[in-house]
Amino acid sequence: MKHLVLWLVFAASAALPHAQGVNEVVRFAVIGDAGTGGEAQYAVGRQMASARTQFPFDLVLMLGDNLYRRASPQVYATAFERPYAALLADSVKFVAVLGNHDSPESVSYPGWNMHGQRYFSFTRNHVRFFALDSNLLDATQLEWLEQTLRTSREPWRIAYFHHPIYSNAKRHGSNIELRVRLEPLFVRHGVQVVFSGHDHTYERLKPQKGITYFVSGAAGQLRQDGVQRAETTATAFAQEQSFLLVEVDEETLRFRAISRSGTVIDSGAIPRQPS
Amino acid sequence: MTTHAVHLRRRTHAAHTTGQTASHILHFISGHYLLLPIGAAVALLWANAAPESYFVAVRPLAFPVNAIAMVFFFGLLAQELFEEMMPGGALHHRRRWPVPLMAAAGGTLGAVAAYAAWVSSATVPLLFRGWPIMAGIDLVFAYFVVRAIFHRHPAVSFLLLLAVASNAIGFIALAPTFLFDGSRAGGSGVLMAAAVGLAAWLRRKHVRAFWPYVLACGTLSWLALYLEGFPPALALVPIVPFMPHTRRRAGELFEDEADARGATPRHYEHVWHYHVHIALLLFGLVNAGVMVSGYGEGTEATLVAALGRTAGILLAVAAALACGLHLPAQLSWRELSVVAVASSIGLTFSLYFAIALFPAGPPLAELKLGALLTVAALPLAFVAARLLRVGRFHQRRHVFRR
Repeated sequence: MKHLVLWLVFAASAALPHAQGVNEVVRFAVIGDAGTGGEAQYAVGRQMASARTQFPFDLVLMLGDNLYRRASPQVYATAFERPYAALLADSVKFVAVLGNHDSPESVSYPGWNMHGQRYFSFTRNHVRFFALDSNLLDATQLEWLEQTLRTSREPWRIAYFHHPIYSNAKRHGSNIELRVRLEPLFVRHGVQVVFSGHDHTYERLKPQKGITYFVSGAAGQLRQDGVQRAETTATAFAQEQSFLLVEVDEETLRFRAISRSGTVIDSGAIPRQPS
Repeated sequence: MTTHAVHLRRRTHAAHTTGQTASHILHFISGHYLLLPIGAAVALLWANAAPESYFVAVRPLAFPVNAIAMVFFFGLLAQELFEEMMPGGALHHRRRWPVPLMAAAGGTLGAVAAYAAWVSSATVPLLFRGWPIMAGIDLVFAYFVVRAIFHRHPAVSFLLLLAVASNAIGFIALAPTFLFDGSRAGGSGVLMAAAVGLAAWLRRKHVRAFWPYVLACGTLSWLALYLEGFPPALALVPIVPFMPHTRRRAGELFEDEADARGATPRHYEHVWHYHVHIALLLFGLVNAGVMVSGYGEGTEATLVAALGRTAGILLAVAAALACGLHLPAQLSWRELSVVAVASSIGLTFSLYFAIALFPAGPPLAELKLGALLTVAALPLAFVAARLLRVGRFHQRRHVFRR
């Protein structure tokens, strides 16, 4: 019953802005560390397709480790095309970044829309996405990021990459070396939300220097009880695989974290910070 | 003598003794190139105790240390090795070269094969590009380990040749990374030709002061490498052969000779000896700070590669002997096994190859951690020597001279 109520609330929140005009709301899903090709990934794929009937997203951000085997047509089929067949059939666009288990040549795989680039930026209405390669954070990429952030005029700036710079997971945790390089740019140029994977858990952190960080690395893999809750943890979940649904209007970003079985494990809203 | 005078004398004596002890410790540290491991240990502790302050502090130091300060380390190393190839040096007799060179090739092949197999099984394809790191042998560290075990013994020159050849393979393997980098400025061939030409001209004019070689030729060479995208720390390597050299005393490799002021090469070595130590301390401090939580497949692959190198060296030597070549006199399989274990220490060179191949990011941190952990081969080499009863653990200690 609780389940149903939550879904109704969620569907209503999704439907209202939709009725006002689809161009004003950006809806997308977020999956990380998905590409096992196992039953759990397929279950998450089915849950995403089911959620889409209520929450019509047309974009999926992939946070890396999109394949756990060496890339080949067969592996793309079993660990990407089949688990998300229903979404792909509806022309949902997947836009990926690479994780440590991905093959570098996957930047050219058409299904992930990276167009041969390790890092890139794209815009959906009032949202600018910054897809970064946290495996190889060279000076050229940092210069590009700073330049692109500086010239960005969209009210929402969202970054995503594989390795979390804030995480309380037991296995990897925060990558401080990356944080020292990325956080100052995010803060200086008004990035509001950051999505990462790598840790096979779900965690939302309390805003750090005004930025909300999500770790969503359990869309296929899972490390049971893999989070050591800390002062910076807002919500954590590591009992089941999970994914995120997000919608962004001009002023607010709303999110729902959904488990493999369909339970809403986290939800909330993030108001846009004034520039 | 009054009581006060006695106290004063005792205090003076105690201060003198303390000063002497400190001086001995400093001399031992510098004499055995221990500042790099000390810097690395400090970096490791700092990075894990206060990571944010560590990474903020060392980030601006990376370029000056890795690209400028290390010029003097590689320059000094090149000079030491160049002089070892002169008459009386450990590397002078070319007939001793084939077996160590085959061992280097086999060791590198073994290390790379083990690394590739591990990376493949762990499905981290990004790490494949790190294979040249596996050619790195910490020449200085491994030299001191082998010399501490064997003193003056053919095992030492065998290790030197093996390490030089292996690192040369690593540098050659790195070259395509820079050649196809796309960030080459071009036109640097002229600068390098000018650097080498000027060094040759200075030598022809019998210029014995080392400053013109280092400042003029070294700067031109540095610019050439930098503009071409190659590691500029190697700037003095092509210049060193043109600097005047003198014969070495047997067994003085990597040792400072304070009484040699005035003679150009020795003066260079004496003057830069301490700069090199500072450079190594900073190199360890800047590059070795990794968080232990950064342990990953790259770390495991590097350690597996160290085992692969040991096996590869022994297999290659077996193949060389099967082809009719001979081991140097007094070098048996037992001694060779200890040399093979000691050559697993990658430390400085593995770290250098890693930062040349990977920018900041978790793969680099994993590989750095692996490079640091190869220091475990140091005690293992001593354990192996003891078990095999060779070198200092032999009942009749070797006193062979080259």
